[in-house]
Amino acid sequence: MRRVDCTGLCLDERMWFVQAKQLVPRFKVFFKHHNLSKMDVSAILASQIEKYQSVTVEKETPLEVDNGLLLVTDLNPVDEESYNENLEDHLQNLAREGVQTLLTSLFSLPTKPSPDGPLAILPPRIYQLPRAKPLPKPKPPTKWERFASAKGIQKKGSEKRDKKVWDEEKQDWVSRWGWGGKNREKEIQWLHVVPANADAEFDPRKAARDERKERIAKNDKRQQQNIARASGSTSAPQQRKSEIDTTLATTRISTASMGKFDRKLDGEKKMRGIKRKFEPTETRVDDEAKSSLALLSKMESDGKKIRMSSKTHSTEGAGGEGTLNVRKAIRFESKGRGGVALSRGGSSSRGRGGKKPMRGRR
Amino acid sequence: MLRAVKAKNARSKRVLDARLPKEVEDARTTIFVKGTHTGDVLNSVMKELMALKRPHAIAFNKKNAILPFDTSSTSHQSLEFWAGKNDASMFVVGQSTKKRPHGLSFVRMYDGRVLDMLEVGIENWAGMSSFKTPKSTPGHKPLMHFASELFDTHPRFVQLKSMLVDFFNGEEIDSICLPGIEHVISVSCAPTPSTLNTATLPTSGVTQDDTASLPKVHVRTYTIKLLASGTRIPRVELVPMGPSLDLVMRRHQPADSELWKQAMKRPKLKKTEVERGLGKKKKNLEVDDMGDLRGRVHIAKQDLKKLQTRKMKGLKGGDENQDEDMEDSREVKRQKV
Repeated sequence: MRRVDCTGLCLDERMWFVQAKQLVPRFKVFFKHHNLSKMDVSAILASQIEKYQSVTVEKETPLEVDNGLLLVTDLNPVDEESYNENLEDHLQNLAREGVQTLLTSLFSLPTKPSPDGPLAILPPRIYQLPRAKPLPKPKPPTKWERFASAKGIQKKGSEKRDKKVWDEEKQDWVSRWGWGGKNREKEIQWLHVVPANADAEFDPRKAARDERKERIAKNDKRQQQNIARASGSTSAPQQRKSEIDTTLATTRISTASMGKFDRKLDGEKKMRGIKRKFEPTETRVDDEAKSSLALLSKMESDGKKIRMSSKTHSTEGAGGEGTLNVRKAIRFESKGRGGVALSRGGSSSRGRGGKKPMRGRR
Repeated sequence: MLRAVKAKNARSKRVLDARLPKEVEDARTTIFVKGTHTGDVLNSVMKELMALKRPHAIAFNKKNAILPFDTSSTSHQSLEFWAGKNDASMFVVGQSTKKRPHGLSFVRMYDGRVLDMLEVGIENWAGMSSFKTPKSTPGHKPLMHFASELFDTHPRFVQLKSMLVDFFNGEEIDSICLPGIEHVISVSCAPTPSTLNTATLPTSGVTQDDTASLPKVHVRTYTIKLLASGTRIPRVELVPMGPSLDLVMRRHQPADSELWKQAMKRPKLKKTEVERGLGKKKKNLEVDDMGDLRGRVHIAKQDLKKLQTRKMKGLKGGDENQDEDMEDSREVKRQKV
């Protein structure tokens, strides 16, 4: 603690000032006597300028400095005379100038404090070097990561767990896992309290162990699911499962109440956000007419059929098998006689058995 | 040849994860391999280079019959195998023959394949032991200094610079303790002969004459002494230390352009870097005075007359408090519709 008085200076500084003030008239006399005022200042200035110059480097083309890589490149052509004269000195001088330039820029970088002293913060690199390994592919986020990013949950550093945990009962630090760990407390303890309603064969140690193993198995399963999701591989049972889910969802929406009052099965997922949209009872006449006509045209058109057939054509190269069961068609047309009979006398019977869509009366 | 290793326990899994590619890479681990015949000079030079490169250096003890520039041999496969097994991405191969005495080859790898190679011959070298001066601490990052305009123009010297920077430079760092800068490696060329100046690129095929006409390269290592000057920036004085080599350029193999392009790919700029002001200037994004990244969203002008607000039934005024006139007028309105 420095003792500070009304002038804002500490006691020592004030004393110095007092002494200096006393000395000034003595300096004035000294200067005047020795006529130093004219000479000394210029000499001091000259020496100061020399010191400054010793830190600057003058070159034809300025040296390229890359602070991020601690690299300096001198693009000036090599001076042949000094090279031939004394190689080592020439090289050392060149290097000295380059390093001086680099250090000048390094010392002017912003610094950040650290326990080892000030660290200069380096800018990103300018000169690029090739990588040794290809860039890492971004991993798809896991189920939890997706949920957390949607909810806005940030990963804090405080989630880091320590190996030792404070046990209030023992008043001591206990390891969280491993030998004598807290996670195996229920299995290790020498005395178990068995509830009255437990059956005769209840083994508390085994029950605790099974619970722990189940937790581990669940975690493993989640990890495997994450890996499978990340790699994008879907096995046959998983594909079938997702197929069933989509079919189930479609059937639920097929009812008028959008599946709200259907009896739910055990493992079914809750349908969220699917409501029936009720049009207002009073609409304008032309709007009603337009919607009815649109509905009719959708029912009548072969648009979906055409689309379906084009889809099957694109996916299975040979023939659109989805639209027409050829065997059944031939059987119906030929009345069981077969395709050969059909080709022989087919033209006569075509008109009767033709499958034409029924056109309602407009 | 290398089998894909599956981790059987947590420790091996950690080792495998450490070998996976990262966004910001570590220093290149270098393997020093001796060819069939090396000799004193090469042995010492390789020892000194390894001392400068520690701890990211591995030295093979036995001699290997490896000729990187011989395309018909299986040398490249050997290099790839060693790189995979040791998780190394750079090689220094020493081989001395009658035709090419004291030859040192630098090989760089990318993605388990050979990226580019460079061979130099050593003439006049002086080891660390011959300089009776204090040496720098091993493991400290060196400053690098290149002096010649050829390092920017001539493709062979551009490759040499890239190779040497990659070799000596350690891992990427974003802050450095300034007193910790102890030594500098200075690479300079002999004066450029006039033949190289007139023709920017040798249009004719690279013949032996061309390699002979390339100027010699001098590599020197100095320790840095900082002297007080009048300003905050100290004056630099250099004291020679460590190996000094005079190199002659020999054969080389430039990188395949496709592979080079892939190797030079940068990771996408992160948000923190965009906030700092790096990256291309994106429209509607700017960094304000507080250092936050702000964006502008342009939407069409909103017609306030058509604004749909929440319907507060309680604020409607209540029908029972209305007088007859209002009711009549409202009824009239309804009928019209």
